[in-house]
Amino acid sequence: MTFTKFAFQNMLRRKLRTFVTMAGVAVAVAALFSLLAFQRGYQNGMRDELDRLGAHVLVVPKGCPYDAASMALHGASWPCYLKMGYLEQVRKTQGVSVAAPVFMNALYGANGEQTVYLGINDDIRAVKRAWKIEGALPAQTGDIMLGATAAKNLHAQRGREYSLPGLEGVKGRVCGVLAPTQGADDNFFYMPLADAQRLFKRQGQLTHILVRLQDPNSMDDVVGALRGCEAGMEMNIVPLTHLFRTIQGMVNSTRLLLGCIALVALLVAGAGVSNTVLMAVTERTREIGVMRATGASMSDIFRLIWLETALICVIGGVIGVVVALAGAQSLEGWLRNQLPFSPTGALIHPELSVMFACLVGAAALGSVAGLLPAWRASRLSPIEAIRAT
Amino acid sequence: MQTLVSAQELTKVYNRGVEEVRALDGVTFDLQKGDFVAITGASGAGKTTLLHLLGCMDIPTSGELLMNGQSTRGLSDSALTRMRREQVGFVFQHFGLLPTLTVMENMTLPALFSKRDAKESAKELLEKVGMTHRRNHRPNQLSGGEMQRVAIARALINCPQILLADEPTGNLDSVNGEAILQLFHQLNRDGLTIIVVTHNPTLANATQRQLVLRDGRLVP
Repeated sequence: MTFTKFAFQNMLRRKLRTFVTMAGVAVAVAALFSLLAFQRGYQNGMRDELDRLGAHVLVVPKGCPYDAASMALHGASWPCYLKMGYLEQVRKTQGVSVAAPVFMNALYGANGEQTVYLGINDDIRAVKRAWKIEGALPAQTGDIMLGATAAKNLHAQRGREYSLPGLEGVKGRVCGVLAPTQGADDNFFYMPLADAQRLFKRQGQLTHILVRLQDPNSMDDVVGALRGCEAGMEMNIVPLTHLFRTIQGMVNSTRLLLGCIALVALLVAGAGVSNTVLMAVTERTREIGVMRATGASMSDIFRLIWLETALICVIGGVIGVVVALAGAQSLEGWLRNQLPFSPTGALIHPELSVMFACLVGAAALGSVAGLLPAWRASRLSPIEAIRAT
Repeated sequence: MQTLVSAQELTKVYNRGVEEVRALDGVTFDLQKGDFVAITGASGAGKTTLLHLLGCMDIPTSGELLMNGQSTRGLSDSALTRMRREQVGFVFQHFGLLPTLTVMENMTLPALFSKRDAKESAKELLEKVGMTHRRNHRPNQLSGGEMQRVAIARALINCPQILLADEPTGNLDSVNGEAILQLFHQLNRDGLTIIVVTHNPTLANATQRQLVLRDGRLVP
């Protein structure tokens, strides 16, 4: 027999009480784990999404820049538009390398399914450098390029004509298919800019302009110049690194609050474990006396009780991590509905290091929570303990 | 003969509130290796207090107790623990078996604390006390007599020189009480020194010598 086995058997003596105590630890660890996994997932997802966009600066109509960024990233119908004439002013601004005009519109089918159409021109290639196209960009009237998922759903083949969803009587010839990007681009239908403006009756208008800079380090100067140009008052200039930092900052504030709640839950769980083991020590006073009489030292008793507490916390921690992993998908679905802006990638990103950190946290909690009961038990006088009823 | 225990003017005083209770008052005696001794007396005479001092569970207020020539006076808790591990084995009236452990695990518990492998000696002891067939049972599956035999085997696992038993037949019927007495006789014949605290006249009369206590003093 070993001390660990002995402590484990003692732990199972009152199964319901032990289970309830473990559940407290599991809930706290699950909350902590989900929070840390969400933070990693959100940060990585945001970074990937903005990288996929390929632009350094997003030029959108006046309004909330976060809403505009969300629409540009995920696809939507826009409530207001930029004048096509602004594009030249953006292009002429010092430090701007490429300015790619985009017209975006979303249509909804009878079952609520969304089809997003993007009007683009050749400039998009200089922005979306990671794109791999099987075929060509849409250049001629009636051309259509499909995102990987859109092509799959339509069972599309290059060179063939298809009716465009939501656009009655309009057909498009597939000139190219985009290789999977793992982002929202996979779902979009791309057509020449002029076609999109005509089909959606917005000639001479754009929804946004994707801008790449000659030198990303000169961001502040270029943004200043864009805001100072003639059309500057009519446009919203959104530097994407700033956007990333701002959104991350908002998420971090929430995370700090939730982190405090998780920490409090962890402390309460620790107090619960400590209390449970203290009760167990009181119940087992006579047994502790017997052990002392049969040769157990104070440190043996301390070790036994401390191990029992640590076991409760570590097992509770493992359960918490497993529960958090099992519930990650449901939590992600719920979070997506709650967050005003969420990247398309996985929101919950459970990394091994996060898992390890949570288990170490649970073990540390057990170590601290076990100190008081273990100290109390080890200080019991053998004679008084044996006499206890 | 080798003197194993030497008590010189042993006194133990407890404070119960403002009242001072002299549980033992100047008790002097010697025990030789291989003795089988009963400590008797009325309730409150100081029997259990004397047993606790002999078992190194406590230290005297005054006087001196020599265990194998070593005084227990001024010893630290860890030194007393070491003496308990190496020199004495305890048997309790209430058996003191741990309910979560099997017979084998209960028996080897003192060996766990003294960090030694006692599997082989545990098997021998189980055979000696006739409990081999119950080695994997838990205490709640045993009779009172069986539990006491396991408790005796546990007390012997670290090969002590002295076996201390506090009312070992107190919770047993006469048949099981007699069986325990026979076991004590067998162990004593093998050279073990046994000290029992008892109210049971049959057990007391079966020992070689009786120390009778009255009001904390030895009756001459």
